[in-house]
Amino acid sequence: MAVEEKLSFMDKYVVEKGFVKPNRRLFTIRSEHVRQVFTEFIEKLGRENFYLSTIVGTDMKDEGRIRLDYYVVLLPEEETIVIRTYLPRDNPVVDSIIDLLPGALSGECETYDLLGVVFKGNSFLKRGFFIPQDLVEQDRYPLRKDSGV
Amino acid sequence: MDNEVVEGKTTRREYKVIRYSPWLVHFNTGACNGCDIEVLAAITPLYDPERFGVKLAPSIRHGDILVVTGAVTKKAAERLKRLYDQMPCPKFVIAVGACACTGGVFSKSYPVLAGADKAVPVSMYIPGCPPRPEAILDGIVKLLKKLESGESGDGCGGKA
Repeated sequence: MAVEEKLSFMDKYVVEKGFVKPNRRLFTIRSEHVRQVFTEFIEKLGRENFYLSTIVGTDMKDEGRIRLDYYVVLLPEEETIVIRTYLPRDNPVVDSIIDLLPGALSGECETYDLLGVVFKGNSFLKRGFFIPQDLVEQDRYPLRKDSGV
Repeated sequence: MDNEVVEGKTTRREYKVIRYSPWLVHFNTGACNGCDIEVLAAITPLYDPERFGVKLAPSIRHGDILVVTGAVTKKAAERLKRLYDQMPCPKFVIAVGACACTGGVFSKSYPVLAGADKAVPVSMYIPGCPPRPEAILDGIVKLLKKLESGESGDGCGGKA
């Protein structure tokens, strides 16, 4: 399949392959490889042949980790794929890709503000950009399951 | 600007200022756009709001009636107050939709104040999810009726 071939460069990073739903491929990678994977995306596919749609963070409290999904749309197929990684819940730090893909700005800022994931290298992160000031002062992250909001 | 709101009776002079030309300013404080679409529908020729002199003001500084939709998020509340402060007296606020009236389904959510009256004084509540365009126009006309009888204050405390 064309998309499968296109993404064959990712094989060395992929821990697990699957589907989020039919027609939406899922590639699980290790969090320290995020930057390398997106660097290769730019090198192998070219900037004009894909874009980062959004970044979604989910608090998996029972597993003690945070799930981070990068939604990437491949062009010209317009097929969405998900690049998934897991971060430890007590120290959720991952490298920022904002210098590679400026479109990551809103996704990274939002995930930091609502979930507390620190994107190392993103100088635009700040609390209270999306959430109300009173929660910032209480140092609470609304999307954490134990935040109590 | 003096933020102190004094509830009071509308004077005859204030009513005369507004009666043939209640100009609207529409502000979305975090609505799902359902109410906004109905507000826009209400100002189309199908419902002919200009028979009441109702039309959209070109700027908040020309506005008489602030039409608020949405559950008023804490962020939007600051902007809503600033908009209200910029309106000339006499000025009125209409809360359109269940969210703007009480917060609706979002009333217990953390980022909302739940209700336009938590941020600014509201003269007329139009419930519904969303309210019909007829209901919105009816609310504006009823507000004018209230002013004619001198029942409702304008939030300026007779300083207009």
